[in-house]
Amino acid sequence: MRTTSAARAAAGALAALLVLSACSSKAEDGGGEGGKESTGGVRTGDGVSGDTIKLGVLTDMTGVYATLGKSVTQAQQLYVKQLNAEGGVCGYKIELTVRDHGYDPQKAVAAYTELEPDVLGFPQFLGSPFVAAVRQRIEGQDKGLVLPQAWAHSLLGSEYIRVLGSTYDVETINAIDFLMQEKGIKKGDKIGHVYFEGDYGESAVEGSRHMAEEAGLTVVEQKIKPTDNDMTAQVAALKKAGVKAIVISAGPRQAASLVGVAAAGGFDVPIIGNNSAFSPQLLATQAGPALMKNYYVASPSLPIGADTEEAKKLVADYKAAYPEDSLDNGVVAGWTAAAVFTEALEEACAKKDLTRDGVGKALLSLNSFDNGFGVANDFSDPKAPSSKESVILQPDKAVTGGMKVVREPEASEAAQAYTPGA
Amino acid sequence: MSDVLATEKGTPGTPRTARSAPVRRLPGPRAWVWAALAVLLLALPFYLDRFWLQAGLFAMAAAIGAIGINLLTGATGQLSMGHAFFLAVGAYGYCVLAGDGGGSGGDGLVGLGLPTWLAAVLAVLLAGAAGGLFSPIAGRLRGAYLGIATLALIFIGQHVLFNAQDLTGGFNGRDVPPLNLFGLTFDDSELVVAAVPFGSAEKLWYLGLALLLGGALFARGVLRGRPGRAMNAIRDHRIAAGVMGVPVARYRAAVFVLSSMYAGLAGVLLALVFQRTVPDYFGITLSLEYLAMIVIGGLGSVSGAVAGALFVSLLPQLLTRYSDALPLVSAPGTGGIAPGEASRYLYGAAVVAVVLFLPGGLVRVAARLRSKLRHIPGDPVEER
Repeated sequence: MRTTSAARAAAGALAALLVLSACSSKAEDGGGEGGKESTGGVRTGDGVSGDTIKLGVLTDMTGVYATLGKSVTQAQQLYVKQLNAEGGVCGYKIELTVRDHGYDPQKAVAAYTELEPDVLGFPQFLGSPFVAAVRQRIEGQDKGLVLPQAWAHSLLGSEYIRVLGSTYDVETINAIDFLMQEKGIKKGDKIGHVYFEGDYGESAVEGSRHMAEEAGLTVVEQKIKPTDNDMTAQVAALKKAGVKAIVISAGPRQAASLVGVAAAGGFDVPIIGNNSAFSPQLLATQAGPALMKNYYVASPSLPIGADTEEAKKLVADYKAAYPEDSLDNGVVAGWTAAAVFTEALEEACAKKDLTRDGVGKALLSLNSFDNGFGVANDFSDPKAPSSKESVILQPDKAVTGGMKVVREPEASEAAQAYTPGA
Repeated sequence: MSDVLATEKGTPGTPRTARSAPVRRLPGPRAWVWAALAVLLLALPFYLDRFWLQAGLFAMAAAIGAIGINLLTGATGQLSMGHAFFLAVGAYGYCVLAGDGGGSGGDGLVGLGLPTWLAAVLAVLLAGAAGGLFSPIAGRLRGAYLGIATLALIFIGQHVLFNAQDLTGGFNGRDVPPLNLFGLTFDDSELVVAAVPFGSAEKLWYLGLALLLGGALFARGVLRGRPGRAMNAIRDHRIAAGVMGVPVARYRAAVFVLSSMYAGLAGVLLALVFQRTVPDYFGITLSLEYLAMIVIGGLGSVSGAVAGALFVSLLPQLLTRYSDALPLVSAPGTGGIAPGEASRYLYGAAVVAVVLFLPGGLVRVAARLRSKLRHIPGDPVEER
């Protein structure tokens, strides 16, 4: 008996379903793919409408990379503001849509899915696991240009995902090269490498393994978790192993702990970190003096306090726009990424093809991009990072951004010969 | 009601209780509601953007997982913090079983290359087996003790996910092979249905619905039958249950296995939606979210688990999406609350509000509304 009523309901439902599905707005209206042509004869596609180009920013302002994400995003917003004030690109204004994923894979993938249909590309996508998660879609169907704010070598090799500057492995090779050239590390020596579990640390440790093989060093590896803040155990282990220098690929907190503990124990070896292993706030802590004495940082570009016209202007503008926020290298990274994206847009505009495909191709033709931070970026080979150069910096309270240059941008011989991921 | 019953083909003598279904009428309001809901759910892929479908799919996967943990924690009173581990076993198990190994274009990770549907089934069984291995512990411990023991699973799981490079791909995770069922591949190759292009989200939507329906009905069957009563007895009074002849340890272990299998199924579905599994996802936060789901939805019932899963998995996504439009939000850098933070505060406030003002969870609201709308005496309150 019940079945008849259920059957009636089901039949009614089915009929309603058929009627409903006949008039969907998602239905293809036939041949919308080809792209449209605007007044100037420039072909445009997704993300370009009216007189605006929409770009997506996928960042982390509430999760583990909050400090970095905030700096990068604010720098990009500042860049776009200035760009629009000067008339935009190709007659279009740029509009950034920011989504904060809080370093949560589900939110990151959801935010990408949300923004993807409406934007031309992504001048920022923070977190290499999430870029990897949508990589299939970027390469397969979406084909929008993505500039990840992540420097893992595993991201290389895609025409649409382009890593800016040297990857962590290349940076680590340059860092160890610095130790060997300037700090007396020689063949047969042991060096310690303290690194984060995850994309950043494991990419960096590839570099030190490569360098160890090339230069006859022994690497003593210490893998840590991002939640480990006290480096006493690591310092003890490395001291016992008799290392002559330490590389650290972790966060600022871990670097401060490592340097501080080593100094307190009279373990006087040079320590060098990747560019994420320092923040200017550390200089105000107890570890400050030790950091200024024994600590170095390898970075893909000149620091924010660099002595160039562009850097000084950026510092002044950023301070004016965000007076309360500190200046760190995230500002440089965000600014550079926005500049690269804009350059690609200009180039695509000159070629009359502002579609996603056109922007991707335009970037391939940029081979000596330099916006005043000392490093020339070459985007012609998707398999290689855009530069293999690193700058070696030393913490210094007296300088803006807390770091001074001790070795100018340079790609070591070992880095030049190295192919990431090979 | 009784006169209606009398005209029925008749069970002479003992009249059935008034609870048996009213007969030969137009479909009741309840049937129509269900039908309308079914139409809505089936028609959605024709209208919604991929974002919404994906959000819905995350919610469906969460609902399946939440049903599993509600059987364990809600119905049997066994606290589990290790649910995320079993989700990971399902997700990664599917990838390993279905991956094509080091073949051409492969990522060099271990893969058995099984047919994907078989891999999906085996991945669920694998999650069950993992639960079974843990059952000697699950059968003996209870309450907070089991919670702590299962917490260990999370840490072990995370460690393995990050370090068993060949199996899991390490920090960057591994690609998920698309499911292939009866010649239909659930990937992004377009399939045009009624002039609407169907990508992976649209196709998976129907798979998700089917799995959720199946999972919900099965769990309802378990809860309403003999095992369900035994489980509730264990939760309410373990010793009394034992005295009445319920094999307590065996039941606890069995429920643990069943709950793990639900988690495994949710893991497989999540993996298919994500198209790539990343270890960051399967952490302690995920386990806590599942516990939040069943507390918010309502402990011990299938509908509670589903309602809680919808709430917990959809709300943050919605708040993030509309974060720009939230009240009190300022542009980043001006010193106020950033949109991302605001959405987190709101989410937290919503969770606290539900727990505080709706003891018994979201399902209680539905039950109260229903009893207010239709004053039918003896109408069974929503199943527990």
